[in-house]
Amino acid sequence: MSEQSESDRHQHKNALAVSLIEANNLYRSYRNIAAVDGISFRVETGETYGLLGPNGAGKTTTMRMLSGLTPVDSGTLRVAGIDVVQDSRSVREIMGVVTQHDGLDAGLTVYQNLFLYGFLIGLSKSSAQKRTHEVLEFFNLRDRSKANVYELSGGMKRRLAIARSMMSSPTVIVLDEPSTGLDPQSRNRVWEELAILKESGVTVVLSTHYMEEAATLCDRLSIMDRGKILDEGTPDQMILRYAPKEVAQIRVAPGSLRRVRDYLNKHEIPFREVGALLSVTGDRGANPDISELNGITGVKASYRAGNLEDVFLTLTGRELRDG
Amino acid sequence: MTFSSNEVFKIRLRSITGIWLRHAVAFIRYWKFVITWVLVEPVIVLVAVGFGIGKLVNSVEGADSYAEFVTPGLIMGSAMFHALFETSWNAYNRIENDVYETALTAPITVVEVTLGDVLWAVTRSIMTTIGVASVAVAFGWLDGWLAFGILIPSAMVGVLFGTMGFLFSAIAPHTTFLTIVFTLIATPLYFFSGSFFPLSTLPDWVEPIAWLMPLTPGVHIARGFALGHLDITHLWAAVYMIGLTIVMWPLVIYLLKRRLVK
Repeated sequence: MSEQSESDRHQHKNALAVSLIEANNLYRSYRNIAAVDGISFRVETGETYGLLGPNGAGKTTTMRMLSGLTPVDSGTLRVAGIDVVQDSRSVREIMGVVTQHDGLDAGLTVYQNLFLYGFLIGLSKSSAQKRTHEVLEFFNLRDRSKANVYELSGGMKRRLAIARSMMSSPTVIVLDEPSTGLDPQSRNRVWEELAILKESGVTVVLSTHYMEEAATLCDRLSIMDRGKILDEGTPDQMILRYAPKEVAQIRVAPGSLRRVRDYLNKHEIPFREVGALLSVTGDRGANPDISELNGITGVKASYRAGNLEDVFLTLTGRELRDG
Repeated sequence: MTFSSNEVFKIRLRSITGIWLRHAVAFIRYWKFVITWVLVEPVIVLVAVGFGIGKLVNSVEGADSYAEFVTPGLIMGSAMFHALFETSWNAYNRIENDVYETALTAPITVVEVTLGDVLWAVTRSIMTTIGVASVAVAFGWLDGWLAFGILIPSAMVGVLFGTMGFLFSAIAPHTTFLTIVFTLIATPLYFFSGSFFPLSTLPDWVEPIAWLMPLTPGVHIARGFALGHLDITHLWAAVYMIGLTIVMWPLVIYLLKRRLVK
């Protein structure tokens, strides 16, 4: 590192009051198809930032670029002032990474997975042992330390992968879909632990296609679709901006589905269908009268508040879960 | 996609030993099974060939018995199999099971991961060499202090074939593809590298080709140490092996990066 860039880095920090991650116009394509198509975002120290979008939105590619696991085609990416393109190794010194498939070593025990990773990143034998015990404790995996990886439940595997990313006591951790594939109970546990990590000062960047996850964990999030970031803000801001206040949900017995559809179409009430569940959003704020539908057998209407799912729908015209 | 200056000039020893230690720990966990290949299998071949075929062969150039002639060849064959298997078959599974991907989330580089793997391949070559050589010593087919020198070609075979294995694991679309490593590479080399018979018995036009095969110089050097006869040809053989390794290395790194950093 030359003196020049050292002082650049210093000035940079002073001028911009330290954004931990600064991504500008990031671009990455595979066989001429843009996976990430010129996105820019910033993550501040200590916050939890989320990329919310369906499968194929470019979230994983973005997460991988942050740690240098995927090369950046163009654009600039800095983490703690370090250029990821030039020196991703130095970035990984301060970053914990949890990849989408856990990447646990099936040939090793829980303890060995952690200890050997600690040794690999350069900890001495005794500090790797000490740190292994600390993270086993924190993630409540102590009594499983001698277990083989294949004996663990999905939730434990995910927590072990997060535990491993904490071996280096990183200032920022990057998690690609931390609760995908987990049952609700394990998911809550992962969320709880991530919240505690955040509270201890760790900056968290995560990608997800669960709007509950984004709403629960993220201070700020961006909605990502087809390689682009559509908008960014706190979950509340985004809901206020793009979601209706109230959404009517109509559960319809299959026999009555046609009558309900015809009714809504006749009255020009916009709706969307997910299985046997119809959601009526109306125009933003407007609350269409659907009381007549209650007369039809097998119809049950209820109301819920607008959420990030609706935000995504407004921005893209599609369901988050459609992929 | 080629070497960046950061990777070549800032290689960290810890990254390499860290990878090596992971393999060693995984190996030790399953040693009861692996040992059958490190020791039992090559010793069976050694005994069968030494006692069985040895009875039928009266004399081989430079050796007192056929068993003495074949011992260094079998040891090198075993060293080759272990190194090649480690970085083709095992490395392929590590690619597929994200072991390398996880390693690369640590502050280490593809070059360091590869070096750690090759170091482990060499370790396996040396393990099988020590095992089989000890049995040969017990039978009286290997003796003299010079025999310890066999560890040198054994390590070189480990580096060469440990590097070569990645050429296959880095491009393999599935495990069945790796079958060709054994059917088209390892097995022909095992039999046509001067292990079982002197290359001079081959047809005239085949002999020079056999000398160029990558295992041949290893067998040549090992036999030099085993029979206590070394000359300048053994030095050339060493130079040839090192040269082959150096030529393969950049290609291995290129292919692995293409597979792992994407």
